[in-house]
Amino acid sequence: MPLLILRRLGSAVLTIVLASLLVFLAIQALPGDVVQQILGRDATPEAVARMRSELGLDTPVFLRYVQWLFGALQGDFGTSLVSGEPVGPNLLLHFRNTLLIAVPTVIISVTLSIVLGVVAGLRRGKWADHSISLISLLAMSIPEFMVAALLVLAFAVGIPMFPAVVLDGPQASLAQLLPSIWLPVIVLSLAMAAYIIRMTRTSTIDVMTSEFITTAELKGLRRARVVMRHALPTALLPTLNVVAINIAWMLGGVVVVENIFNYPGMGNLMLEAVFNRDLPVIEAIAVVSAAIYVACNLLADLTAMALDPRQRFRPRARRGAGAQPGPKASPAISTVERSQP
Amino acid sequence: MPISSSMGRRSVLVAGMTLGAGALIAGLSGCGSSNGVADIPLAAATGNAARGRRMRIARPAASAAETLDPASSLSAYEYLGAIYNRLVKLDQQGTTVPDLASEWSSTPDGKTWTFKLRRGVRFHDGRVLTAGDVVYTLGHILDPATGSPQAGVLAPILEPSGVTASDSHTVVFALTSPNAEFPSLLTAYQCYIIPAGSAAAIGRTGIGTGPFRLSSYTPAGRGSVEAFADHFAGPPALDGIDFYSVQDTSARVNALLAGQIDLISQTNLDFATARVVASSPVATVARAKDAQWYTIPMLATSKEFSDPLVRQAMKLAYNPKDIVATALQGNGSPGWDNPVPPGYADALDYTRPYDPEQARALLKQAGVEGLRMPIYTSSYDSVFTPLAVAYAEAVKQAGINLTVTSASSDSYYTEIWMKKPLSVSYWFTGRPVDQLLNQVFRSGSSYNESAWSNAAFDQLLVDARREMNDERRRGIYQDAQRLIIEDGADMTPMFGDRLVGLSRKVVNYSEFGFEFDYLKIGLS
Repeated sequence: MPLLILRRLGSAVLTIVLASLLVFLAIQALPGDVVQQILGRDATPEAVARMRSELGLDTPVFLRYVQWLFGALQGDFGTSLVSGEPVGPNLLLHFRNTLLIAVPTVIISVTLSIVLGVVAGLRRGKWADHSISLISLLAMSIPEFMVAALLVLAFAVGIPMFPAVVLDGPQASLAQLLPSIWLPVIVLSLAMAAYIIRMTRTSTIDVMTSEFITTAELKGLRRARVVMRHALPTALLPTLNVVAINIAWMLGGVVVVENIFNYPGMGNLMLEAVFNRDLPVIEAIAVVSAAIYVACNLLADLTAMALDPRQRFRPRARRGAGAQPGPKASPAISTVERSQP
Repeated sequence: MPISSSMGRRSVLVAGMTLGAGALIAGLSGCGSSNGVADIPLAAATGNAARGRRMRIARPAASAAETLDPASSLSAYEYLGAIYNRLVKLDQQGTTVPDLASEWSSTPDGKTWTFKLRRGVRFHDGRVLTAGDVVYTLGHILDPATGSPQAGVLAPILEPSGVTASDSHTVVFALTSPNAEFPSLLTAYQCYIIPAGSAAAIGRTGIGTGPFRLSSYTPAGRGSVEAFADHFAGPPALDGIDFYSVQDTSARVNALLAGQIDLISQTNLDFATARVVASSPVATVARAKDAQWYTIPMLATSKEFSDPLVRQAMKLAYNPKDIVATALQGNGSPGWDNPVPPGYADALDYTRPYDPEQARALLKQAGVEGLRMPIYTSSYDSVFTPLAVAYAEAVKQAGINLTVTSASSDSYYTEIWMKKPLSVSYWFTGRPVDQLLNQVFRSGSSYNESAWSNAAFDQLLVDARREMNDERRRGIYQDAQRLIIEDGADMTPMFGDRLVGLSRKVVNYSEFGFEFDYLKIGLS
């Protein structure tokens, strides 16, 4: 078990480094560099040349990557090519702001969707199932920016309950940001919950028709106990991966939502950095995003092990040797892909 | 960077979003009101401003590299007019009028210019404005290390050593070559006067002589200015202005509709959004007339457009009035391929013929009958694609087949503009005629977006600068405009009104070219 975790951690680090390299190369492939982007139509050849040498952009690409990697390993993410400020503290500030949306979103959407998903699964074919499924399908199909526009129209323009956009910068205190987080949280929660509801419903239905539940019911256990004690842990297994993927997906969704609400979070910072080709900032965000992605997946797998003894004590079978029919079933369901916005 | 603008710069990732949200809100609010969606108002509200009010302005910050140094190409444009003054400014007819300078004159050869400064003008830190500040400011603009866009205009005729103070309130400019239009070149928004010795700090302190003094400022963030009681033209109507940086266009509109801000600066609302804003109970739309100068540059160095016959055909083939009617929905004026805005005193009053048959004949003569090529556009500005589509549709009559090709907006000005043979583009109007013609049409200028080169035209510009008689000089500029219309490679289909979203409480809003009236604007 500890060995497994170590192996996973090792591959996680490798994934992050690879992601940073790929992002670095992708930015090089984008048309226009930071100097051209900032100067725009004022980018006369002389102005471009002067600014490039000021920013040290005349060093070869790979040398710059190695320099950056070396700095990053020591925790120094460099300075922004645009503002000249250190990347680390600025990113931390934006990350804090994003967490302020992300944490309530995860708590609300995961709780809500597991409850609704299980209810829908248990009442399969009844009106509760139908209405939950319909609403979640709708929430899944309407893009976040549309939901955001509707909510702004209703609760900021129509009934002025919440601010439509955040006017404060990233340095705003949590108290200043607090009134502004609710609309973004609702938008993201709706999008996220829809997928988890669908998954939970499906796996609840699967589990409730399996033999051990029938056995438990025939044993005369109360239905609540059957559901809570026996069905739920099994039903949650495939859902875990979906939750993990969704949390990681939220990093993408947050870009769109933060932009609409002018929320000074990581998504907004990323949009700005990509637009300006501000390499050090993009790289730092890439590392943080990759780390979150990897961490979410690792956490999901570890939780799955905790919930499912079969995964903990599975004999370390060589590839191709001895098919394990039982646990194989759940990962097959969990590879639900969702499109990034 | 309002040499173009930063509006919609980031629309690449959110273009669809803005459209979707705009249409949605349009639809919903259309259902709500009984008379449907309102028309776009023609004039801004006027009236008495209440005392003691603060205005909230949302602006699209160019980048975190922005600075309050007016000379820089990265200046935070919206602050400049509030906190600084220039020696001279332009009026709506494109005529140079006094600001910090009360009068000016030149020697008969047009080489030496003397500017008298207004007396009793104070900077926000209490210092009195003197000729030394002007000398210092010009030195800062001309310093290559500043990298000022206006240095490209001034440096060919003026050396830093040529600017001297003959007494405490008189500045003498000794030019290296005659220039009858020299004062107009000092109207650029890079030429705001800063206190002597302040270059290193001005980017943060923003100390000027303007109607407002800076009280706080964060690049690409919030900032505030307060009324400056000692301003020479009297204190402004407002007590202060808070500037907020909101990057996304639809977010700026939402903030306006929700009553969080009073004005959206540097943003040309698309027509659907403008109608929504105009029908809102809290907000409305005002316009900066003819503020957007739309162009269709034909790259004169390309194989298609190196032939003057083809360029002529491309112009004869379309009627600018039709383009105004479709692409601008009537909110603008036809340009007839003359880049000088129709309201300018120096504008040539000439409507070139519209003759698609003649265009077809010219193309045949040039051996490119039924010309086929792409015309590039992007979502950089909301009118780009309507313009490209309307133009492509119009020239079909002359047998020209243009494929409207949309390119990514965030690299439009690095990858498409001045690189592809045919594209659409725009500038802000507000340049004095001499600078406009020299910057965008003279051979070899870095802003010459069509790479057009015409020796006779270049000579006219030189002649005009030598001609001290105002009437005769106007005649030369008009000859130059005629050359652009007949031989030029940069078409001007139209001038569009900039549709500005503002609160219904805003009174006395007035903006044209690079002039924004910060003194009179107020809240009722």
